[in-house]
Amino acid sequence: MPLSNSKVADDGSSAQPQREGQAMVDSLTKVVACYRHLASCIGGSTDSTSLRQELRQTREHAQTLAVSCRNHLTARLRDKTLSEEDRKETELQWVAFSSCLELFHADMCKVYHMGSCFSVAKKSAMVQTGLQGGATEVAARALSMPNLQEQNGEQTASMEGLDQSQLEQEIAQVDRTLEDMEMKVNVLRWTVEAKGPQYADPVSVDSASLALLSGDEEGGFCDRSQMFVLLMLCGVALVAVVLSVCVVYLA
Amino acid sequence: MTIKLIRDHGQHYRPRMACLQKLEAMVLEMQSGVKSSEQKLNITSIPHVITGEDILAWIANHMKVDTQEARTMGTMLVAYGFIYPLQDHKRLILKPDGSLYRFQTPYFWPAQKWKVDDTDYAIYLAKRNIRKKGSLDVYEQENYNKLHKWLNYKWDFIVMQAKEQYRAGKERNKADRVVFDCQERAFWIVHRPPPRTHSAMDYGVDRLIDPNVEEKKTFDYYKRIIIFTQQAIMRPKVKSTVSLGALVKFMTTYKGHDPFLAPCLPSNPWQTDDDTYWELNMRSVETPTKMRVERWSFSFFELLSDPRGRADFKVFLKKEFSGENLAFWEAAEEMKWGAASSINEQAQTIFKTFLAPGAPRWINIDGRTMGLTVKGLEHPHRYVLDAAQTHIFMLMKKDTFYRYLKSPVYKDMQKKSLSPAPHTFTDSQLEQNARNRKPGIDPIIIWQQEEEERAKAAAAAGPIDIKKLMASKLDRK
Repeated sequence: MPLSNSKVADDGSSAQPQREGQAMVDSLTKVVACYRHLASCIGGSTDSTSLRQELRQTREHAQTLAVSCRNHLTARLRDKTLSEEDRKETELQWVAFSSCLELFHADMCKVYHMGSCFSVAKKSAMVQTGLQGGATEVAARALSMPNLQEQNGEQTASMEGLDQSQLEQEIAQVDRTLEDMEMKVNVLRWTVEAKGPQYADPVSVDSASLALLSGDEEGGFCDRSQMFVLLMLCGVALVAVVLSVCVVYLA
Repeated sequence: MTIKLIRDHGQHYRPRMACLQKLEAMVLEMQSGVKSSEQKLNITSIPHVITGEDILAWIANHMKVDTQEARTMGTMLVAYGFIYPLQDHKRLILKPDGSLYRFQTPYFWPAQKWKVDDTDYAIYLAKRNIRKKGSLDVYEQENYNKLHKWLNYKWDFIVMQAKEQYRAGKERNKADRVVFDCQERAFWIVHRPPPRTHSAMDYGVDRLIDPNVEEKKTFDYYKRIIIFTQQAIMRPKVKSTVSLGALVKFMTTYKGHDPFLAPCLPSNPWQTDDDTYWELNMRSVETPTKMRVERWSFSFFELLSDPRGRADFKVFLKKEFSGENLAFWEAAEEMKWGAASSINEQAQTIFKTFLAPGAPRWINIDGRTMGLTVKGLEHPHRYVLDAAQTHIFMLMKKDTFYRYLKSPVYKDMQKKSLSPAPHTFTDSQLEQNARNRKPGIDPIIIWQQEEEERAKAAAAAGPIDIKKLMASKLDRK
């Protein structure tokens, strides 16, 4: 039937930009998540020039992603020839994109505020939060690079000031983008329905940090008993091995 | 995807929270002052752990206060979330022993400018669920379900973001992951408190104006300030000795009657589930309690506002044949609080009964007030009788009220009134009371009873025709 054939053909060609949009939104989500982790280290014991640089790089990457995502999605939504299903999908992506942008805006405001309070030069004024390692791996994940090049060079006060003013401009830009999005694109949020499940599946049971956290409260008691059980099992295994060797020897 | 451009003239701004900046400064000073040690967990050790007693000692030393005050200050620091406890993390207090605390990272400090978002809370709960299914508390589970209903359009995004944040967190080393989890958990206990606790960041109502924005000094602004200052100058002011004296007098008079300051006799029904107190103080009870009767003597307004007191006063006035004042006052109240449709008809009745020359229950008010009221009654509205009502109220208060207090009616009432003995319930009796709780009288039945009483009173207290009264006496003769 020519009609259904053409439909299949259409789906084949329109799935491509759909998947593109989804991929862009996914990568933006990833970058925003990493930015949040980086932002939570500011002002703490691991705050340093490299952290600020990582923040800047992540932010710039997120901005470029956001611009391209917005252009793609606005073009898709303005397209009148979109089918009903495709439009629903695009609207979902649009909601995800704008929520991402809002989170990013909030994080940027916080980083700006804290950056002006905590200058990297005065290391003694930082809060002792108990963090030890840097967040370089998180930044690497955000920028999708296997390892970040070490950017050396002391960040002087003027460079920091430059960074802050740039951040201010970018915050204003994202603000304008959000306003434009709300006014100009007509996506009715009460018609958008989520497709996914209510509970996210556990990605992988992280027993190590769980044990650490529960040990936090109850002290080392539980872990000591676990160690004892482990030792017992090892002892039993050893005895079994020795017995089998004896049997083999005697037999 | 939240609505940012709300242009109605409603209240959308958080109030000033000046204490937060002061606490931030204090926390920054604490960094060098308080001794920090390491926390050992299995194989890793996490630095920058402080004990409660060290914090207490530092605060007492730095602010030069005694231990009790320092403890309160420390609890405030913990309650706002600048320091979080490592053991017993749901109770945000400062324990003055060796319990361990840690500083919160500035990202999670409480701020006045940014409202804590429900989206973030949903992401946090989803992350907790991803880490271990079913690790949410009951109240967190409820919140999660509610958020799933309200934020349904964003739910895919929330789940995706939670997964990404979880994966990004896995990139860090183990100790840092534990610290970050503790920090986030402490943040959300402050801002979404568990049930039966309260959050230090509760602030009541939102404000109309943004306190962070300086108001532009335009022409309109200065005009408004000028009008405000002019009115302030013209306002009559009371000397503080006078107003404070009035406050002291009020407090000494009502000290014994305040439900917070004095125990309620026989027992507080909310605490002991025994409703004797309510039954003894109903509207139409035969013998009121001593406290109630004492309260009538405080002021005329108290007497009139208590329905039992008003009934007693009516009995006294009937004996004195001066019931028309109170009747007029009640009629005026009814018009003030009644339905708008009945105002015209009520105005006519009141005029005929009380104000017309030669009326059966003519009230004695001065000529000027009478003239104003009669003129106003041509176009009656709710408050036409206000001037006359105030005049009558003052008349009754200055004259009749004091006679009432000295009268045998009141003295009899004082003697008759009961003073119930306080209940002493044992625990088992309290439990039995709780089990025997029954619903009280239906308010509809109470309303019907009141309507019947009112009808009877209206029929009985009709215009006391002197002629008829004398006629009946003559008849007997």
